[in-house]
Amino acid sequence: MVVGEISQERDLVIIGGGPGGYSAAIRAAQLGLPVTLIEQADLGGVCLNKGCIPSKVFTYAAKKQAETSHMQELGLPAGEGTFDLSKLLAYKSKVTEQLRKGVEALCKANKVEVIKGKAGFTAEDRIGVENGHQFDIYVFKQAIIATGSSPVLPEGLPKKRGRILLSHEIFDLEEMPEHLIVYGHDYISLEVATSFHALGAKVTILLEQAADFPFEQSVTKELNRLLKKKKIKVMKDALIQSAEEAEGEVRIGFTAGGKEEQMAASHLFVAGSRRPNVQYLGLKRFGIEQTEEGFVRVNGNMQTSVPSIYAIGDVTEGPLLAVKAIKQGKAAVEAIAGGKPEVDVTFLPTIVHSLPPIASAGLTEQQAREMGMDLRTSQFALGGNGYAMITGKKDGFVKVISDASNEIVAGIHMIGEGAVELSSTFVQLLEMAAKEEDIKFPAYAHPSFNEGLLEAAEGLIGQAIHMAPKK
Amino acid sequence: MLEVKLHDIGEGMTEGEILHYLVKPGDQVIADQPLVEVQTDKMVAELPSPGAGTVKEIVVDTGTTVQVGTTLLYIEGEGSQTAAAEEKKAAKAETAQSAQPEAKERKQAFISSFNRVLATPYTRKIARDHNINIEDVTPSDPSGRVTEEDVYRFLKGDQQPQKEAASPEATAVSAQQTTPDEIPFRGMRKQIAKKMTKSLFTIPHVTHFDEVNMTNLLKLREELKAAGVSVSVPAFFVKALVIALKDFPVFNAELDEENEKILLKKDYHIGMAVDTEDGLIVPVVHDADKKSIKTIHEDIKRLNEKAREGKLKPADIQNSTFTVSNVGPLGSIGATPIINHPETALIAFHKTKKVPLVNENDEIVIGHVMTLSMSFDHRVADGATAVAFTNRFASLIEQPNKLMLEMI
Repeated sequence: MVVGEISQERDLVIIGGGPGGYSAAIRAAQLGLPVTLIEQADLGGVCLNKGCIPSKVFTYAAKKQAETSHMQELGLPAGEGTFDLSKLLAYKSKVTEQLRKGVEALCKANKVEVIKGKAGFTAEDRIGVENGHQFDIYVFKQAIIATGSSPVLPEGLPKKRGRILLSHEIFDLEEMPEHLIVYGHDYISLEVATSFHALGAKVTILLEQAADFPFEQSVTKELNRLLKKKKIKVMKDALIQSAEEAEGEVRIGFTAGGKEEQMAASHLFVAGSRRPNVQYLGLKRFGIEQTEEGFVRVNGNMQTSVPSIYAIGDVTEGPLLAVKAIKQGKAAVEAIAGGKPEVDVTFLPTIVHSLPPIASAGLTEQQAREMGMDLRTSQFALGGNGYAMITGKKDGFVKVISDASNEIVAGIHMIGEGAVELSSTFVQLLEMAAKEEDIKFPAYAHPSFNEGLLEAAEGLIGQAIHMAPKK
Repeated sequence: MLEVKLHDIGEGMTEGEILHYLVKPGDQVIADQPLVEVQTDKMVAELPSPGAGTVKEIVVDTGTTVQVGTTLLYIEGEGSQTAAAEEKKAAKAETAQSAQPEAKERKQAFISSFNRVLATPYTRKIARDHNINIEDVTPSDPSGRVTEEDVYRFLKGDQQPQKEAASPEATAVSAQQTTPDEIPFRGMRKQIAKKMTKSLFTIPHVTHFDEVNMTNLLKLREELKAAGVSVSVPAFFVKALVIALKDFPVFNAELDEENEKILLKKDYHIGMAVDTEDGLIVPVVHDADKKSIKTIHEDIKRLNEKAREGKLKPADIQNSTFTVSNVGPLGSIGATPIINHPETALIAFHKTKKVPLVNENDEIVIGHVMTLSMSFDHRVADGATAVAFTNRFASLIEQPNKLMLEMI
């Protein structure tokens, strides 16, 4: 330690201003705790600036673009002119900036002290923050690590030169890919594939070392059908062996389904894997327990092996989703404030803003069967829904799985328009341990996509009105 | 990392007090090594280690009463494997462990699948806020859903779901009356209730009463005392009972209805009902047929002390074959005692009183007479046999010299 070092005292210090970190900071302020938030770049983190939000700008634009032919059908002026990517990028910047300013304003209004800089622990109770030439030491009572994660390229793929893109780069692309290869199998890959396709790119999906998409089986089946209809090629069990960036294109050698293949395209998107951002924190110095992959170990209260230090979000194990980070951030602060929070990701919904969107919560039919559950399933096709007919969004279905022994809902899965917004109902039903009747009793707006859920539930005992009886 | 939880050691216990830890953090332990002493409703039990390793952390303080299912301490598994692998293993073992009995108990695929109790987020919060593990709450809903009310009921100490409140009229009337004081019906009291109900609902009880002339036995006891040997009366009773039981083995038996057999037992483990502050408990004098009257006396004395101090171990209260209830010191002249199921008979000894007796010379003399009540299972024996049995017992007590003939 430097002689004469001046350290400042703080109560609660949060490292990382992503959705988990800033939600924790604001909740701390609400609970009356003095709180300091350290962020090295922009408030909102990867999610707001590089991830969730920018990607949804693209999926939203894609959805609008896909509606043009339907608009013509309605007699509305549409389809004139060409797609201007630069305008979309400007729109994206506007949205992210507005949201970022919103977060900054909220932090200010809540008297959250925001310090800019790169943080690293220097002892169990102190942290150094580096910002250019400045280096300040803060002594804290509690700290929350909320530094998130970063995407990493799979081994063997070369350092990119603009044509091989990761998730935080693809939405900054200034030219529209002519042919985009999407290498991955998660929700991000699917969002990239369907949105760039709708915006005009030719898209090929290479399912990275996966036999199929990871959704509920019926959903996966419908998804494959719809991708085929859109002429998005899906190659399964794929593994890229080599990738080479050249003038105007990227050439890859890969195996798919056991066969050696070659392909050239203008761009390659790689979902990759994610690594927790812990390199500069100095966790090893005082033995904060980590997993082999480097994720920080925490208990139910998000506490690390050092009781005064907590960790939340992508830097901990579990699904790498903002929704988890937000929940954990609030829980950690509530625990620090003496509350008894709980984070339970059992019914964390799987959401994909693809075209059409997918939302899924609870058990899949296969999982329920493997468990030996005596189950009922019912799938209601949106083709039978009046509002789907009006809007021209007839693809997809709602599927409900319930335990036949007690009629308790075990899982709800949807692919189709409205899935994402309807997902909160799915999660609510599951969290409330609802029975079939609990879905069927309430009155549903007519006409609306909501009725798809009602009819799927009614179909469990063969009583959906807009479904032909089983022969 | 292995989690050591307080589990049900027997007799449907729901909670236990942590008496003291036999290990401390950093200690190396082997599988089955006792880790902690726990005081339950009825006894003191030791929890063994589920595996070998190093004690990592003790979570619950000594003196705390915790629910079954609460984690008491953590043990880090041994070996050179990485911590992550250990964790995975432990987690696997745990899910395997918890999934099996739970699935059996609740037959709820849903619960075991998500390993999650059916309860709304609000109900979960109430439970958390009161430090209740929601898994410990008995659901009143037949489909296994734990409700807000179940949690509050659990909080008040009543595990069992209650019947709906009486009709509005009845409530209105009682609302005007004073509210009764409440005694929690749980723990030992509830265990006793359960056992008694089972016995009385299963066994057709018959009770007969008899008198025993204790004059000679008390004289013998005085003589022994003068000689410096103090032996309590119940010790003689136990010895005499064992002798009588050998002649009438049907009272040292168990009815196995399912297999249509009466099992005549060759062990003579005599249960001695003891009244404690918390209620009735029955420590057992094991192998009374192989023990001298003096040893039996010492056994009874030791067990009584342990019972009063609440230090009985599971082994102390198990496997009795015949039970004695010595209520004499408290008074009373008769009772219709309930048999200690699945035994076939029980004797209660009542007060010994000085009474005028007619001796063989037709003189009236002062004698010491005790009454006894014997309940027996009418499925396995008839009245005549029971009377013959108590006659045999009485003859041994009335002429204690006879006991000598039975010494091995």
